[in-house]
Amino acid sequence: MKWNVWFGEVVEEDGKLIAKKSSDLVESFKNASNPEALPFNLPEVGLQVFESLEDYYRTLRKIAIKVTSEKVERELKREDRYVILLLKALDKLNESINMLEEKLRDIEEVKISETTEDFRERIEELKRLRRRIEKEIEDVITKIAPNLTEIAGAVIAARLLEKAGSLERLAFLPASKIQILGAEKSLYKALARMRRGKPAKTPKHGIIFIHPFIRTLPKRKRGRMARFMAAKLAIAAKLDYFKGELDESLAESVRKKYEELRREKDKPKKEEPKQERREEKQKKMKKPKRR
Amino acid sequence: MKEVIHNVFIIEREGREILATKSKYGSHYGERKIGEFREWIPSRSKLAAMILKGHIIDIKPDWKVLYLGAASGTTVSHLADIVDEGIIYAVEYSAKPFVKFLQLAEERRNIIPLLEDASTPWKYNGIVEKVDFVYQDIAQKNQIEIFFANIDMFLKDGGEGVIMVKARSIDSTAEPEVVFERVVEELGEKLEVIAHGSLEPFHKDHIYVHVRKTK
Repeated sequence: MKWNVWFGEVVEEDGKLIAKKSSDLVESFKNASNPEALPFNLPEVGLQVFESLEDYYRTLRKIAIKVTSEKVERELKREDRYVILLLKALDKLNESINMLEEKLRDIEEVKISETTEDFRERIEELKRLRRRIEKEIEDVITKIAPNLTEIAGAVIAARLLEKAGSLERLAFLPASKIQILGAEKSLYKALARMRRGKPAKTPKHGIIFIHPFIRTLPKRKRGRMARFMAAKLAIAAKLDYFKGELDESLAESVRKKYEELRREKDKPKKEEPKQERREEKQKKMKKPKRR
Repeated sequence: MKEVIHNVFIIEREGREILATKSKYGSHYGERKIGEFREWIPSRSKLAAMILKGHIIDIKPDWKVLYLGAASGTTVSHLADIVDEGIIYAVEYSAKPFVKFLQLAEERRNIIPLLEDASTPWKYNGIVEKVDFVYQDIAQKNQIEIFFANIDMFLKDGGEGVIMVKARSIDSTAEPEVVFERVVEELGEKLEVIAHGSLEPFHKDHIYVHVRKTK
């Protein structure tokens, strides 16, 4: 038997455990994995190659801090870029799969052959790749943006990240911008109309529209939900960027708001006398249009 | 002033009783330093909340501890005050909070930081030794499974463990009481449940479960 331990190897020879110290402790530390529980206690065996327990722990701690610092730095630097690039690749992959399937259908309508079967297999392979990429995006985004993911789900969180360009930039966006990320076209269209003095409405939501809490509400409530969710997402992005720890109360408050909005009935109309309402309406109409 | 367990005190301050650990180190997460004591804030640390709820585990100064879900090290910093002759193997999965944690690990001599996923304990199975105590605070759906896997691999026979369970992270739709009942039962199938209880009002919908590994 042989075990990989952080200081090298432990081998069993003639019923005896022998510790062998690695010449590269950083490398052996990184490879110190074993599928089953070790049948010995590590520091005890380690004493064969370390002067004392103190020496053992001092060395272990030094290597652990070194390896972990490097790992932390590497992860922080690259992971948001990685998600964004994966997401872009995923979009292209989707386009390709759709396009190829269409072409294949065209061919199959004419003739089914060995070549078309091969063709289909390749497309299935691409679909498997697509699932893998989706899974990877989900894993990474949950890790680097736990708060955004908890509120919005992996897909929307990754899209927001992509639109913003990086976690840092997303963390510095105001809630109002997060609310309409992905709806820039309709926003600028509306702004352009307003500038010309025409009536226009700015969009209520961008990417976050696909969130079930917004999508499943009636239209007139979606704006409020989107605004609330965007506000919480803005806080989440800041938490994720500066702190990185999950604060469940954020997602909780979004869920509560949704329940509240869903249950909310239309305001009873009977209570107001008709006369007054008409007057009010006229007043409203006289108000100048928003610019 | 009363010593609850090694280096853990209840001290009188401005007419109020507060929990604190005796420490020669400075403040780590913004807690007050009162003389040689660091205030241990129950709303920040579930372990502190458990002690203040009256469940006291006699953690010995020389215990070896496996800590899962170390985050930025709020609780670990106090635990490191307690096991001042022991070792804490601290596992955390996400890099961001670990930046802060690393400052703590550099300062203390008894903390071994590991940036690993607690759901794959075999990956650090050549680093962590057999421990006396496993502490877990991970908000994941499969947290019970993770707890079992780590206990199987690292906890000594007769060793103890504490898991902090949040109802919503296991099942967000069921009533917390129902979830807790199920969790305690599941833990009891493989381990001896010594005690369990709520962490209200410090942490909403959370319980602690204190277990022992029996052969």
